[in-house]
Amino acid sequence: MSHRGAAGIAEGVWLPDKLPDALPNPDLVAALPRLRRYARVLTGDVHRADDLVQDTLARAWEKRQLWQAGSDLRAWLFTIMHNVYVNQFSMRQREYAQASLDADEGPAAGWEIPVRATQSDRVELAEVFEQIERLPVAQREVLILAAVEELRYEEIGDVLGVPIGTVMSRLSRAREKLKRMNADSASPLKVVK
Amino acid sequence: MSVGLPLSEDDLHAFADNQLPAERAQEIAAVLAREPALAGRVAEIKRQNALLRDALDPWLAEALPHKLLHASSHPPARSAWQRLRAPLAVAATLVIGVALGWYGREEMLRRDGTPISFSRQAALTHALYAADVNRPVEMWASDEQRLVTWLSKRINFPLRAPDLNGLGYSLVGGRLVAGNEKPAALFMYENADKQRISLLVRRDDVASHETAFRYAREDGVSVFYWIDDACGYAISGRVDKAQLLAIARVVYGQLAAFEAAQSQRP
Repeated sequence: MSHRGAAGIAEGVWLPDKLPDALPNPDLVAALPRLRRYARVLTGDVHRADDLVQDTLARAWEKRQLWQAGSDLRAWLFTIMHNVYVNQFSMRQREYAQASLDADEGPAAGWEIPVRATQSDRVELAEVFEQIERLPVAQREVLILAAVEELRYEEIGDVLGVPIGTVMSRLSRAREKLKRMNADSASPLKVVK
Repeated sequence: MSVGLPLSEDDLHAFADNQLPAERAQEIAAVLAREPALAGRVAEIKRQNALLRDALDPWLAEALPHKLLHASSHPPARSAWQRLRAPLAVAATLVIGVALGWYGREEMLRRDGTPISFSRQAALTHALYAADVNRPVEMWASDEQRLVTWLSKRINFPLRAPDLNGLGYSLVGGRLVAGNEKPAALFMYENADKQRISLLVRRDDVASHETAFRYAREDGVSVFYWIDDACGYAISGRVDKAQLLAIARVVYGQLAAFEAAQSQRP
């Protein structure tokens, strides 16, 4: 039970052994933007993403005794989020199957592409979002954790609860698929929707 | 220099993602200098990474919604009732226990049977209905929504039939069964080998302590059961302990997620 300072955000974050009941927790707040981003990648929808973040935070508070001081808080939170998501998703799979009929939004409709982009940027960004969305969730997760969050492959395996061989094969397939999608969209014969 | 050859697929990814120790990275860089095809693949991966970060980084700068800031600063809200619930339950259990013990002893002696334990009830119920080939359930899974609504109403608790398709078990249906005092809900599942397992849910009046998973074996039926403040759950089947525990974990996880979703609602 070591008591460490609050300086750990960058190099491996901490949660104190015991959190006071209501005090802003700088480490959790610092992790929020990345949690939201990961949740958006998982759910493909900003509103559902924030609900997922909220459920994840609630779970993190409940499970805070399980936090191991000295390990990366962000990876721990991603792990919780992955589990919450998987549980909720399997609960809702049936509902999705039935509820998809009235969805007339196009692909990537829930993403809310950042506004700061210029017109031509937006087209390209929209394409990136659409490509991400077309990857199976399992590959999407590995890709984002490796390419965007820059977690170590071993950490990714821990977050997702899979062996490193699985991490590598999913990563490889995700990248292969992105490459193919890109090749398709670069072709002059591309059908404009 | 080139002792580490040939390069594996994993090496290319690890190199592009900067995950290699410096020495190995240098070796690979040397190989890439001679192999334009491989270098092209690495460049493609790096290009993809940059594109993904460009697309997703702007989100990091967004203002954080108040509800999330609040949720990262406070444990999930527990009402005064929730804080008092556990100690009250202990007190109530003691009072009821003493009272029952005192006033009930004559009655207990007079009766032929005594209330049976939850695990025994689960095992007996499972044995009775799982063996019924044609009519194991009262309502079939084809009408899952009605089934769940009906059972929720009868036991006065919002139920959810866990989805065990991932484990190879599909929902057969459910029925209302007799409990010690009040009815309980039974969901029946079956796998491709016609092996059946059942989930029994009992609503408790007095919020009990939460319990860890408990295991019991009654007449050849394995039962994992646990109590989660308002309800007792038992998952039963003629399968081995490890297999049943795996199923129980999935059920527990899904129910916990469902409960969390329920409690989020205002």
